[in-house]
Amino acid sequence: MPEAALEGLSVVELGESVSAPYCARLFADYGADVVKVEPPGQGDVTRSWGPFPDDVPDPERSGTYQFLNTNKRGVTLDVATAAGREILLRLLAGADVFIENRFPAQMRAWGLDYAALAAVNPDLVVVSITPFGQTGPYSAWKGYDLNAFHLSGASHRYCGLPGQPPLEHGTFSAEFYGAATGATWGLAATLGRERVGGGQHVDVSCAEAIASTFVGAHNIAAYAQDGVFETRTGVGMRLSAPATILPCRDGHVWMLAIEPGQWKGLVEVMGNPEWAQVEMFEDMFVRGENADIIYPLLEAWTLQHDKQEIMERCQAAGCPATAVTTVAEAVEHPHLRERGYVLEVEHPALGRTLSFAPPFKLPGCPPPPPSPAPLLGEHNGPVYGEWLGMTEAELARLREAGVL
Amino acid sequence: MVASRPLEGIRVANFGWVWAGPVLGQTLGFLGAEVYKVESRARIDMLRTLPPFARGERDPDRSLSNHACWAGNGSVSLDLKKPEAVELALELVARCDVVAENFVPGVMEAFGLGYDTLREVKPDLVMFSMPTAGLTGPLRDIRTYGLSLTGTTGLDSFLGYVDGPPIPMEQAFSDPFNGILGGFGVLAALRHRDRTGQGQHVDYSQQEAVMQLIGPAFMDYAMNGRSPAPMGNRHPLSAAAPHGVFPCAGDDRWVSIAVCDEAEWQGLVRAMGDPDWVRGPEFSSFDGRLRNIGALHEQLAAWTAGFDDRVLAERLQSEGVAAAPVMNVADLLEDPHYRARGTFIEVRHPLGFDETIYGAYVKTSGFDAAVRPGPAIGQDNEYVFKELLGVPETRYRRLVEEKVIY
Repeated sequence: MPEAALEGLSVVELGESVSAPYCARLFADYGADVVKVEPPGQGDVTRSWGPFPDDVPDPERSGTYQFLNTNKRGVTLDVATAAGREILLRLLAGADVFIENRFPAQMRAWGLDYAALAAVNPDLVVVSITPFGQTGPYSAWKGYDLNAFHLSGASHRYCGLPGQPPLEHGTFSAEFYGAATGATWGLAATLGRERVGGGQHVDVSCAEAIASTFVGAHNIAAYAQDGVFETRTGVGMRLSAPATILPCRDGHVWMLAIEPGQWKGLVEVMGNPEWAQVEMFEDMFVRGENADIIYPLLEAWTLQHDKQEIMERCQAAGCPATAVTTVAEAVEHPHLRERGYVLEVEHPALGRTLSFAPPFKLPGCPPPPPSPAPLLGEHNGPVYGEWLGMTEAELARLREAGVL
Repeated sequence: MVASRPLEGIRVANFGWVWAGPVLGQTLGFLGAEVYKVESRARIDMLRTLPPFARGERDPDRSLSNHACWAGNGSVSLDLKKPEAVELALELVARCDVVAENFVPGVMEAFGLGYDTLREVKPDLVMFSMPTAGLTGPLRDIRTYGLSLTGTTGLDSFLGYVDGPPIPMEQAFSDPFNGILGGFGVLAALRHRDRTGQGQHVDYSQQEAVMQLIGPAFMDYAMNGRSPAPMGNRHPLSAAAPHGVFPCAGDDRWVSIAVCDEAEWQGLVRAMGDPDWVRGPEFSSFDGRLRNIGALHEQLAAWTAGFDDRVLAERLQSEGVAAAPVMNVADLLEDPHYRARGTFIEVRHPLGFDETIYGAYVKTSGFDAAVRPGPAIGQDNEYVFKELLGVPETRYRRLVEEKVIY
């Protein structure tokens, strides 16, 4: 068996919530040795978030914690103490990557800013993933996923009904986005250390990553040039039609037909209704201008059909419509079963539980089977004993002092 | 700053089209790779047709959206329907480390550019395919855009207002997400190549990558058999209250407020001037506030409505409450925070006009990202075909005339 792609990389994570933990999970999924550092006592905040089996809270049985921390080792360490920080620096002295999402002012106050870390290990790549970033006026602000997402422009421009509040996704979109961004840029910085001349600080702002690559991409140049901007419409895309979610007999469908062949396919699937034969509707932009006419007519048709049927018939006709699947329907789809996307994980407190496979497949170096997320402080012995060479007496003293 | 960038020396042939594939090329390009988008005037990429256009002139080389989304990619133009173009593409691939594409499975094979063919000319090639639903499985042939792709992930089913229908996220959030995360896949495969000499064909299912975002909701399904319904701006795991956006003074102005613990709640109470209603039994405990979150949000909205969003955010921040303005597009360009970070920059396009694109969307202390304007179609033809591949001038001219290079 070839080694997993990131085997041999040593990663330390000082993360809570979603962004830094998911970033570190990506490294762990592909074979890096990831040590997650949690505060003694309560651990990562996601241990309290659940979901829990039968809704019974238990910090060792949180689904969100389990999902975000699979394949890692876990230690406890109170970095609010000088002794704790000293141990963290010893861990970082031998690491390749440090992934963290603490408040920048807190890291500075602890003496854990980038300059201090680089002094200990000049080859260390430090990936900081925060709502607003390490610089700029809002870097001093407190923020969560919600604040970052809404600061990105994504909701005001793209998500919600006109006149109604802009919407978040209903998951931790900004943190996941920042996590993916930090993983890619952080891995590049790690693999490029020889070319660049050592480690560096990779500063990811979740809000900025989305403001740039999602919202800015299609809006900023237009605003800069023409001085006008658009806001959310409640439909998927106004430029053409159909391009939105519509109700159907058993739920909702994503009706999408933009290019000429796609529209032709949809018209055929609907049985060539007279209204759709209008020649000017062959132009995607003209359909967009006439969306108010097209959508009610199309909805009258979708309401008579089921979502899977609509998806299958549209796909067969070259039209990229899809069923809007619930979480259950998405997870249970035979396609994902066949691809082995839903994994079984044996967890000491949860028993047999489920997780998702890593996001992409590397057939030349598949990762080993998943290991469960760590219990709180589960790997203190191996990490502090074997890695740092601390004695049992030393560990006992630190436990006593509440540092571990 | 050290001049060298992490991916310097890596060359990428990017057959990716529309948005996700080009953002992958952009990410690798910003990090220092030499990236050529392979495209053709014979079938102009849809993204090049999106308005608005530079100075209003409709032209596939002047779409402003296109330039922002593709900046960092170079461009060579080949009409891959012609055998000689496919030969040239193979010669280019032989000099590349990575080939990327986001077609439906089978399209690259139909061009004569499937992995089995490519590995003959470049045995340690990293081929990175990112179709909708992966290279195998019953849904492998489905066609989607980023918009409808998310329908298959469960993600779209719980975006919307409480008790309302699902509302579409406009403009395909999944495309740039996959383009960026795809970079991680390319890099992981390159590390394996560097350590073993082995290339491989990476199978990146955009569906599966986006589904990672529903992880917390999926765990509730796995443990308790539940699927979430639209939840507005509420905390996905009910771990915060209040948690939402609230109206402010002005047209379509809002502030986001998230309160996750008792200290933050006390800060919010102080900022509001300790009004009587907070002492009601329904709001006096965290559990109470969660149970009565609708009423809580109404009370809060009545208070926020008179404030300027930024002034209010500052006031709440000074009391230790996570609050921020909800920004519109104009704010992104004008806001002091994004200005201070140089989020958006003005560049001179090779065709002579200035345009505003996003710059390095990550700040790195060890190198300056290689941000270039969006490519004009075929802007790198002369360099790639004549210098890199050594095509003599006379043949080059014939290929252009015959619209092989086109």
